[in-house]
Amino acid sequence: MGDVDAAASDTSTEPAQSRRFSVNALLDGFFFVYAGVASVWLAWLVLTETFTFGWWGIAFFIAFWVVLAYLVLPRLHRILTTIYVPDYFIGRARTSDGLLGDPVNLAMLGEEAQVHAALAAAGWTRADDITLASSWRIITSTVTRRSYDEAPVSPLFLFGRQQDFAYQQEVEGNPARRHHVRFWRTPDGWLLPGGRRVDWLAAGTFDRAVGFSLFTLQVTHKIDADIDIERDHIVATVRKGDPAVRVEVLRDFSTGYHSRNGGGDTIRTDGDLPIIDVRAVVPPPSAVAAAEVAPAPRTADPTKVVT
Amino acid sequence: MSVDKRPAFEPPAVLAAPVTPPPSMRRPVATAMGSLLVGLRVVAGIVWLLALALDWDSILERDLGIGIDDVEERAASGAALTVVLVAGGVVLAIDLALGVLVYFGNNGARLAVMIFATLSITIAAIDYFTDGADITVRTTLITLSLDILVLLALSSRAARAYARRPRPARRRRRRVS
Repeated sequence: MGDVDAAASDTSTEPAQSRRFSVNALLDGFFFVYAGVASVWLAWLVLTETFTFGWWGIAFFIAFWVVLAYLVLPRLHRILTTIYVPDYFIGRARTSDGLLGDPVNLAMLGEEAQVHAALAAAGWTRADDITLASSWRIITSTVTRRSYDEAPVSPLFLFGRQQDFAYQQEVEGNPARRHHVRFWRTPDGWLLPGGRRVDWLAAGTFDRAVGFSLFTLQVTHKIDADIDIERDHIVATVRKGDPAVRVEVLRDFSTGYHSRNGGGDTIRTDGDLPIIDVRAVVPPPSAVAAAEVAPAPRTADPTKVVT
Repeated sequence: MSVDKRPAFEPPAVLAAPVTPPPSMRRPVATAMGSLLVGLRVVAGIVWLLALALDWDSILERDLGIGIDDVEERAASGAALTVVLVAGGVVLAIDLALGVLVYFGNNGARLAVMIFATLSITIAAIDYFTDGADITVRTTLITLSLDILVLLALSSRAARAYARRPRPARRRRRRVS
């Protein structure tokens, strides 16, 4: 019944596609902001409850923190950063809340299958996508302290898209500490500041612990401030994995980043951008076949944004 | 590539920009949660109706000042209760149906649920800020939180994208409805 209505309204709005925003889209924008405002009120109401229940107030305070850190602040960040963070390349990935995330500190040249082959040869494990099943496995592996090599990484955004894929190396079977690097395919014809063409951009950082984030009040991975160590580790392992890999370095590409990531961690870097050239890597035949079957790279993909 | 001059901030209209998800998009957690919360809202409604039915006589007397003295008044009060229960039941049934449609990514149902949640939140807010109505766990905090959580979940970009994803086949849409 509702579907038929939706179908009817779909067809009737089709000629109006030339308008920049449909009434439906404006409604969505309104609800998005209104829900943010309402959630602030909800947080306030829950907070006032903490003072009326004695010891049970502690439970309400925890509820207040959950509402604030995981519902209110993400939505408010999302609304505000949509407006005040310019949506073009500034050398930083953005978190799903729109905050500045890990710095882009690597670039690659080559086809997707070649990138996968080079990283696999270098001893890196591809991270799972975030699903209910993989989220559950993170929780169980953390609680039981079992290792989860393919643990998913949180989504970061570049060019308005979630990473196309991510690779990682667990350290000592401890899920709190790991090397990880996210990859984004650059848009066709897109050039780096300075004019170089690269096929992939990547952000590699080292998760050193699980901690409390200063900016979002959430529990997240804290990254190591010396992101150059991780960058050089990735370059070194990929070089060692396949002799056909060539590396060129853009000196001082992002010199002057002494800033924080989306979790409030400080970042230090010399600003060099290594360009790893894997165009001479010969991927195993099975990988080529898989890449041909796989769907085309995602374009604007807001699917994994939760808030 | 030519580059136009642009401001250092984005227009607020970006918040209302249409999303373009792939047809193969899987159901996001936000949609499932929104649907589940609508279900919880229905459960809360059933509890409320049951409490009302069990406590009907004293509610009439205490809150509305209507005493029940003879058989005729008793029959009238029983009829009134039936009307309230049936009306409430119909509303809850519609709510539940909308929740199920939301689960399958129906955009009309999603918008309807969000409109109802917005109205309910707005009315509660007006009560709270003008008349100083008490909103605590003992009164309406639970239902109000459910409304706000439903609105948060279903207004999220993921839920929006899922409800607006392009549908591949027409036949599949009919079967869902």
